[in-house]
Amino acid sequence: MLKTVLDRFQRLNPLLFACMAGLIVIGVAFVYSACSVREDPELRMLYMRHAEVGVAGLAAYLLLAWVDYRTVIRRWGWLVYLACLVLLILVPLIGEARMGARRWLFGIQPSEPAKLAVVMLLAWLYSRRDAKRGTVMFLLTLVAVGVPAALILAQPDLGTAMVLVPTVFAMLFTARVAPRIVWSCVLAGAAGAALILGLIYTAEKSNLPRERREQMIAMTQLKPHQVRRLQVFLFPDKDLHGSGYNRRQSEIAVGSGGAWGKGYLKGEQYMLGYLPPSVSSNDFIFAVLAEEAGFAGSLTVLLLFLGLLGSGLWVAFRCQNDTGRLFCVGIITLTFSHMFINIAMTIGMMPITGLPLPFISYGRTFMLTMMAAFGIVQSVSIYGRESETRF
Amino acid sequence: MESYGQKLTDSWRIALFALLFTAGIVFLAVALHRVQVERFSVLSRDQLRQSVRRVQVPGPRGRIFDRNGVCLADNRASYCIAYYVEELRKRGRWINTIRAVDADVDRLAAELGIPRQLSFAAISNHVLQSLPMPLLAWRDVDQETLARWAETVESFPGVDVYVQPERTYPQGAFAAHVLGYVGRDRPLPLPGQKIHFYLPEMIGKQGVERQYNQVLTGTSGGRLIRVDARGYKHAVWEGEPSVAGADVHLTLDIKVQRALEKALRGWRGAGVVLDPRNGEVLALASAPAFDPNEFVPIMTPGVWKRLNDDPALPLFNRAVLGRYAPGSTFKPVTAIAALRRGISAEMTHACDGVFRLGTMRLRCWNTYGHGEIAMRKAIEQSCNAFFCHLGHSIGYDPIYEEAHRIGLGTPTGIDLPSEGGGLLPTGAWKEKQMRDAWRPGDTCQISIGQGLLLTTPLQMALLTSVFANGGTVYRPHLVRRAGLPEARNTMAWPPEAIALVRGGMHDVAELGTGRRVRVRGTAVAAKTGTAEVDVGGVRRKNTWVTAFAPFEQPTAAVAIVVENGESGGLTVAPMVHDVLVSVFGEAPPENEPTADAVAPGPEVRGD
Repeated sequence: MLKTVLDRFQRLNPLLFACMAGLIVIGVAFVYSACSVREDPELRMLYMRHAEVGVAGLAAYLLLAWVDYRTVIRRWGWLVYLACLVLLILVPLIGEARMGARRWLFGIQPSEPAKLAVVMLLAWLYSRRDAKRGTVMFLLTLVAVGVPAALILAQPDLGTAMVLVPTVFAMLFTARVAPRIVWSCVLAGAAGAALILGLIYTAEKSNLPRERREQMIAMTQLKPHQVRRLQVFLFPDKDLHGSGYNRRQSEIAVGSGGAWGKGYLKGEQYMLGYLPPSVSSNDFIFAVLAEEAGFAGSLTVLLLFLGLLGSGLWVAFRCQNDTGRLFCVGIITLTFSHMFINIAMTIGMMPITGLPLPFISYGRTFMLTMMAAFGIVQSVSIYGRESETRF
Repeated sequence: MESYGQKLTDSWRIALFALLFTAGIVFLAVALHRVQVERFSVLSRDQLRQSVRRVQVPGPRGRIFDRNGVCLADNRASYCIAYYVEELRKRGRWINTIRAVDADVDRLAAELGIPRQLSFAAISNHVLQSLPMPLLAWRDVDQETLARWAETVESFPGVDVYVQPERTYPQGAFAAHVLGYVGRDRPLPLPGQKIHFYLPEMIGKQGVERQYNQVLTGTSGGRLIRVDARGYKHAVWEGEPSVAGADVHLTLDIKVQRALEKALRGWRGAGVVLDPRNGEVLALASAPAFDPNEFVPIMTPGVWKRLNDDPALPLFNRAVLGRYAPGSTFKPVTAIAALRRGISAEMTHACDGVFRLGTMRLRCWNTYGHGEIAMRKAIEQSCNAFFCHLGHSIGYDPIYEEAHRIGLGTPTGIDLPSEGGGLLPTGAWKEKQMRDAWRPGDTCQISIGQGLLLTTPLQMALLTSVFANGGTVYRPHLVRRAGLPEARNTMAWPPEAIALVRGGMHDVAELGTGRRVRVRGTAVAAKTGTAEVDVGGVRRKNTWVTAFAPFEQPTAAVAIVVENGESGGLTVAPMVHDVLVSVFGEAPPENEPTADAVAPGPEVRGD
C-alpha cells in the first residue's frame, strides 16, 4: 500500500500542482484585499470562503488524482454529463436569480461543472476505438455540446457558453475529427464575429438615420447589454459613466499600479469604490492584483499560468492514450481561454464578459470544478504513463 | 478497455497548443507592460483627477483700522454646529442619506431646544453638490447652546462644532458707509486652479470692504480631499497654505467721524471732512446709516427688506452719491472766476433785494437789499444779486472752467466702489437733455449755486479744501498711502484773488451767516448755503455749510449738507462747529458774554 502511494506520488506532476497552489494562495490574498472594504460582515469574510473551497477542492483534487482517470471518464463521464444537463434544465425552473440572470441552483452554478462534463464526454467519445471521425461525429459533438450551451446561453451567460467554443474546437482539432468542417466553422465563426463588430461599428460611426442604425443593431441578434459591451470595446471613451465605466475603472486600476504596485491592501480603485465591490472580488480580481502588485505581480501570475498550462500540456504529451490526451487538451484550453479573456478584458482588449480568472477569482462552483478537473489531469499524469513505466 | 484506441492523436498538435498558449501569454505580458509601465503616469493622473477634489480655504481676512490704530473691522470666531454627512451615510439611493440627516437635524433641534434652520431642500442640495464639506446646521450659536451640545455630543456621531471667522464691526454703525459690509459668496478661483468645493467666503460688498477686497482677502490656500466613488470624503491632505489678508489703515479719524455722525443724527444728510494738505478723508458720513453687524453671519431677508424699504434710504451713501444743488457755497467759485477774468475786487453792485434779468427776477435773501456792495462783503453777506450780476457780466465759460478744473461734474476718484459725479452742465448738455438753448438766466442761477448745478458733498468738501490750500486739487482717499499726495490739478489762482475769497469766507465765520461754526482758539473760514429744491412738487431746502480751519494753515476742510433744514447758518453751522471741535479741540470759554452765545435770528438768517 505504502509502495503504491509512493509510486503514484512520484508520478504526480509537481509543477502542475505547485502552480495551481500558488495561484490559489494569490487568489485568497487578493480576494481578502477586495472584500476587506465591504461593510457586510459576511462579505468581509469572502476570502475565508475562498480558502475553504480551496481546501475542499484539494480533497477532491487528491481523490480524483488517486482514482484512475480512465474509470472516471469512461465510466462516469456520461453520467456527470447527464447530471449536469438535468441541473441545467432545473435552473430556469427552480433556480434563483441574481443580478438579472438565473444561474444558481442550491447555491451552485451548474454551468461550471457542465464545462467539465462536456470535456469529459468528448474525451470519452473521441477516444473510443469505434469512433468515426467524420461528419456524423461532428454533428454528434454539435448536439452534445449544443444542448448544454443553449441552456447556459438562455440563463443568460454568454461568456461561459462562448468559452466552450475554443475548448471544443481544440479537442476536435487534436482528435482530427472532420478537419475540413472544423476549419470551415472556425473561418465562419471569425467571419460572423467580424460581421457583428462591423455592424455595430458602422451603426455608431456612419451618419445614417436613427431607424437604420437600430435596424443594423437588431441584425446582430444580440441582447441590448451585449451590444453595449461590444460598443464599449469598440469605442472605449463613449460612455465612461455608464456601460463603459467598469472597463475604464479597471484600466485605471491596472495602469496606476505601475511597475511595482501600490502595495498590498493599498489599492485605491477598489478601496474608494471606483471599481465596484460587486465585481472586484470575482470578474475584476486581476485589476485589484495589478494595482497592488504592479507589473511585477501581473507577470508572476502570467508565469504561474504558463507553468500550469505548460505542465498540463506536458502531461498530455506524455500520455499514452487518447482519453487522457484529449481531456488534458480540453481542460488546458478551457483554462487558457478563461485566463486570456479575463485579463484581456481587464485591460480593455476584449469585450466585457463575466468570465472568472481560474483559481484567483472568487467563485466557489468554478473553483471546485477547476480543481476537480486538474485532479483528473494529475491522474492522467499518474496513470497515463503506465505502459511506459512497466517496461 | 478494448473499445478504446491507445493513441491516435498526433503529438505535434499538442506541441502546437503549447506554442499557441505561450504566444497568448507573451501577448498579455506585452499588453500589460504597455498599460502598467508605459501608460502609468497617464492613468495615475486620471485616477487622481477622478478622486481628488480641491477645496479652497481662505486666509484670515485683514482688519481695518482708522488713522490712530482704532479697529473698525475685525474678525471673531463664530461657532457653528455642523454635520459631517459621511458619518450618517445610508446605503442605496441618496434620498436615504438625505432623510437620515434630516431626521437627525430634527432630533438635535429637539435636544438643543432651538428651532432648526436647515430646510430639507438645503440638506438635499448639500448632499448632492458638496458632500465632503461640513453642512452648517446652525450658524453662530451662543455659549449656552454650545454647552448643551457638549452634553449630548455622544448620541450624535455625525455632528461637530465648526469654527469659522465672522466679520465684526466694533464701532457699530459708525463709518458704516465708508467700511461697507461683507457677504458670503462663492470665492474666485486662484489662477490655474479649479475649485471643486468651497464654503462661502467673506467677500466685500460695499465700501472699503469691497474696494480693497483683494488686499483684505489675501491668498486662498487649498485643501485636497480624496473622495470615494460615491463622493464621500475618504481622506484629507493639506495643499498649499493660505496667506492672511493684509490689514488696511484708513485716513479716517474715528473721533472726527463720531462727531460728524452724532451731529447728523436725526437728519437726512451727509458730511465729509478732508485734510486740504493731501486729500486724506478724515470723516465721511451719510445719515441715516445702518449697522453692518446686522449682515453677519448672513443678511436675513427681514433686515434687507427693512433697510431697502426705508424711505430715508439708509443704505444709500449720500456723501458720494447724493446730488445736491450747492447753493451759496458755490459762490467762491464765481468770485474767483471773476477775479481771474480781471474783474476788480473793488467793483460794486447796487443790491435792492432783487436781481432782474429780462423777465426773470432773482430775489436776494435780504428783501431790503444790501445796497452798494463789493465782493468781499458780498461773500460775507452772501448777496445773490451781486453774484448774479457778476456771473452775468463774465458769462458762463469762466465759471465752468474753474468748477470743472476743481472737479465738479466728475467723480473725485475717491477709493470707494461707487461714486457719483454730480452735474456741471454745459450748453451742449442742456441742448441735448432739455432741448433748450443756454440762457443768461442759467448762468445767473449757477453763479449762486442753483439751477442745473448738482454736486456731491464730497465734491463740495474737495472744493472747500482747494480754497483752503490755495489752489491744489488732491485726490480724496480713504486708505493711507506712502509718498507725496497725488495732485490732480493745480488751479494757479493769482495770490491776491485767492486771498480775497478766503478773506470773504473768513468774514462769513467771523461776522456773517456762518458765525455758529466758530471755534474758540481756532480761526475758521466758512460759507453757508441754502438751496431750494423741488422734491415731487414740495419745496424743500437743502442747507449747507462748507468750512476750513485753521484759517492760515488749514488742516481740515468740511462740507455738510442737511436735507430739509432751516438754513445753513442755523441748522448746519453748529454741526460743523462740533466737527471742528473734534479736530482742534476748543479753548475754555472766557468769562465775557459774546455775541455768538445767542445768535440773533435775522443776522444769521439767509444763506
